[in-house]
Amino acid sequence: MILRTPAPKRARPIEPAPIIESPPVGSDHRQLAIYEDPSSAGPARREPSQQSEHMLCTYQCRQMVKADFLDALSNAEKQVQDYQSKLAELNDNFGKADEERKTFREKLSYVEQELAAAKGREQALHDQLLKEVNDSHERLKKELELSSKLQAKLENEQNLRKKAESTAAAAEDKAKELEAKLGHISKSIEKEKKRFNNELAQLNRDSKFSITKITVDLEKMEFRAKSSEQEVELLRKQQEDLQSKFSECLHQKSELEKRLTSLSFEDDSPKESDVLVKHLQEELRNYESEVREARKLKSAHDSIELMKEKLLEEKSRRERVELQLPKLQEYELKINKLEDELSAWKLMIQDIPGVSCCDDVPLRISALQKEVIDNLKKLGEVNAHLKQMQVVLDKTQLDKQKTETEAALAKEKADRLEAEVKRMNLMLSAVSEERNMLKIAIEDFKSKNEQAGGHASSSAMQELESSLLKREPYIKELEGDLFAQKDINTRQQDEIKSLHDRLNSEARKVKSLERESDRLRSEIFLLESKLGHGDFSAANTKVLRMVNTLAVGNDAKQTIEALQSELQRTKEKLQALEEYKSQSGNSGKLVDSYMSGKVAQLKEQIATLEKREERYKTVFADRISVFRRACCELFGYKIVMDERQRPNGIPVTRFTLQSIYAMNDDEKLEFEYESGNTNIVENGYTSTSEISQQVDIFVRKMNSIPAFTANLTVESFNRRTLS
Amino acid sequence: MASKTAAKDIITLRGSAAIVSEFFGYAANSILYNRGVYPEESFGKVKKYGLPLLLTKDEGVKSFIANLNAQLSEWLEAGKLQRVVLVIMSMNTGEVLERWNFSIETDNEVVEKGVSREKSDKEIMREIQAIMRQIASSITYLPCLDEQCVFDVLAYTDTDVAVPFTWMESSDAKLIANPQMVKLHSFDTKIHKVNTLVSYKNDEEELDDEE
Repeated sequence: MILRTPAPKRARPIEPAPIIESPPVGSDHRQLAIYEDPSSAGPARREPSQQSEHMLCTYQCRQMVKADFLDALSNAEKQVQDYQSKLAELNDNFGKADEERKTFREKLSYVEQELAAAKGREQALHDQLLKEVNDSHERLKKELELSSKLQAKLENEQNLRKKAESTAAAAEDKAKELEAKLGHISKSIEKEKKRFNNELAQLNRDSKFSITKITVDLEKMEFRAKSSEQEVELLRKQQEDLQSKFSECLHQKSELEKRLTSLSFEDDSPKESDVLVKHLQEELRNYESEVREARKLKSAHDSIELMKEKLLEEKSRRERVELQLPKLQEYELKINKLEDELSAWKLMIQDIPGVSCCDDVPLRISALQKEVIDNLKKLGEVNAHLKQMQVVLDKTQLDKQKTETEAALAKEKADRLEAEVKRMNLMLSAVSEERNMLKIAIEDFKSKNEQAGGHASSSAMQELESSLLKREPYIKELEGDLFAQKDINTRQQDEIKSLHDRLNSEARKVKSLERESDRLRSEIFLLESKLGHGDFSAANTKVLRMVNTLAVGNDAKQTIEALQSELQRTKEKLQALEEYKSQSGNSGKLVDSYMSGKVAQLKEQIATLEKREERYKTVFADRISVFRRACCELFGYKIVMDERQRPNGIPVTRFTLQSIYAMNDDEKLEFEYESGNTNIVENGYTSTSEISQQVDIFVRKMNSIPAFTANLTVESFNRRTLS
Repeated sequence: MASKTAAKDIITLRGSAAIVSEFFGYAANSILYNRGVYPEESFGKVKKYGLPLLLTKDEGVKSFIANLNAQLSEWLEAGKLQRVVLVIMSMNTGEVLERWNFSIETDNEVVEKGVSREKSDKEIMREIQAIMRQIASSITYLPCLDEQCVFDVLAYTDTDVAVPFTWMESSDAKLIANPQMVKLHSFDTKIHKVNTLVSYKNDEEELDDEE
């Protein structure tokens, strides 16, 4: 406050006046001259009177000086106040700057923390990446080991497969050869066996038969020949006698005829002629009988000649047999050889494992075939397994390649991250250096502020502010980079995870699909082969065959042809016989004891067969009647069966049932049976309301004819018993 | 039967069964002619499927094939027929020399629900024509039948099929051991699909035997 009126004077001590510096801002650069009061005593000696004279001014000068002084004082006070206000302002500014510094410090510390956290995260990421890289390396190694193992397994499997194939091929070849051989052998053996057995038996039989027959016939023939020769001689004699007699008779006959003719003219006594005639007739009869005997003898003679011829034939046959006897010996030798061969084949069969006799050979062949089929199946399975292994190997190789690429990518990422980490470290070091610089600057600012007051602080504050302003964008850039890096890292991790999952799922899908495709291919192949072969499942399918009238016709044709050929042969034989008959003479029968014997034998056989047939018929009739009676008594129905034909020509069996409890003869049920299906036929009885109801319920709805008949029986029985 | 609409041909179950059974009749005749089971002079030429085909004039064979076709048509309409096999055998030994296998796949939805399908008649005829051509050209690779042969027909059906009067169940499917197989074309009416395959006795075994 500037006093308007000057304050009273005070005694001032004699002291040098303090030098008050004017404030730099808004201050006049005026300096106060210090007035020293002369009245004041002091140690300081005043200059001489000049000074006192000078100083001794008038009151106005003093007042002027006072006024100037007061003005100066007020100015100074103003300046001081200004300075004080400025100081307060500066203090405020300093406080603000301090606060700002504190905030910046906090920000710095926050940034430092974030940097440290980012660094930690970087480190963690780095560690994670390293871990992942190590894991991928380990997985790679494991997969490489797996692949090497699989390769080794594959090689083993391939070797095994080759061995199996070679063994299977060798076994197949052997089996085929063996089969072929066995087939040949068995066929040839069987054929030859049969043939030779047949031939042997036949030959033996023939030979024995012929030998015995021949001997017997020979003996017979000889005996007969002898007897016939004797008879022939006797007969010749008789014949001669008879011929002579016959000639005599003829002669007598001619004489008698002459006599008769002469007698017929002369008319002699009829009695003598009658007697003569009678006598002649008797003689004629005798002669006729003798003629007949002669004819018989002649026929006997002819038969004897036939027998002679037969004897000759038998002799020739005997000669032929005797000629064939060495052949028989040859055949016996052949048989022995064949028996030796048979024994050799039997020994060979014994060598074949699992075969003890010829009948076992086809079984063994079938067993070998089954084994071959099983081996082929196994081979197919092994092939399928091999294919699977190959697929797995390919997959592992692909996975290996993928993991290698992933590892390379991960390495690149890791390198990139390392480079970024380095960059971040460098940035951190730069930021920390700047922080240190800032700290130093702040400390300087503090010290300066303490030392110099507001002037120095303003410049430091300015510097700080400028440096802070410079650092802010840099810090923002760092923060932005950090966030970006974080985002990138998280995105990459997520991508990697998702890719891994997708890879695994796809790999699994592909494996399963390939396995299924192989299985389906093998199934298709098997089914096609089965289809082509004609196999079928009895559970779902049945094989039906049409009754082949063409084949029947062919068989009939063949039989007809054979019968026709036989007929022709018999006709030729008959013609030959008739010719022979006509040659030998029509007068008299052909006595062929051999043919008549055969005919008698055949007739006997026919008689026995006819008797057998009749016996069978009677037995069958008895049995069927017993069966019918039993059915009637057990089930209560008389069953009559007859065959009918439908209009379309298809034969159908009709059964007529009559209950034993029926009230009248009209109560009959009729059924038609055709190829396993039985259907009820409507008639007057079944069309009645009661019966039709039962038919609807039991037959049509429940499809049970036995239930219908049983129900009907019970109802009829109840009706009968009640009535 | 198949009726022609403006753009597409509708195929019913009955029509498809008729087409398949008719095809089988002509195929059987063609096989019998080409394999020489019956003499050439017993066959007469007709035009079918756009080709000149040969049909037997023998009344017995004609009636046999006609009865067969009727029964096959019935089974096809019921959806019970799985396969038809024409077997050629030696007359003397009864050995099976060839098996002409016609396997049939039926659309069960058509059988159960009675729906119809659409397919061009021309397309079906073209497919059948291809099979007939293949049957005719089969003589180039099938072994010669030097001996007198007879034929027989087997039908593979479901187990619940009632055996008709003129048929009988056979336990012998008349198979060939180690056959050679040749797959021919197939045709499809959208209701029945017919696949053709011929299996014959391996000729190499006989040559090995002869050697």
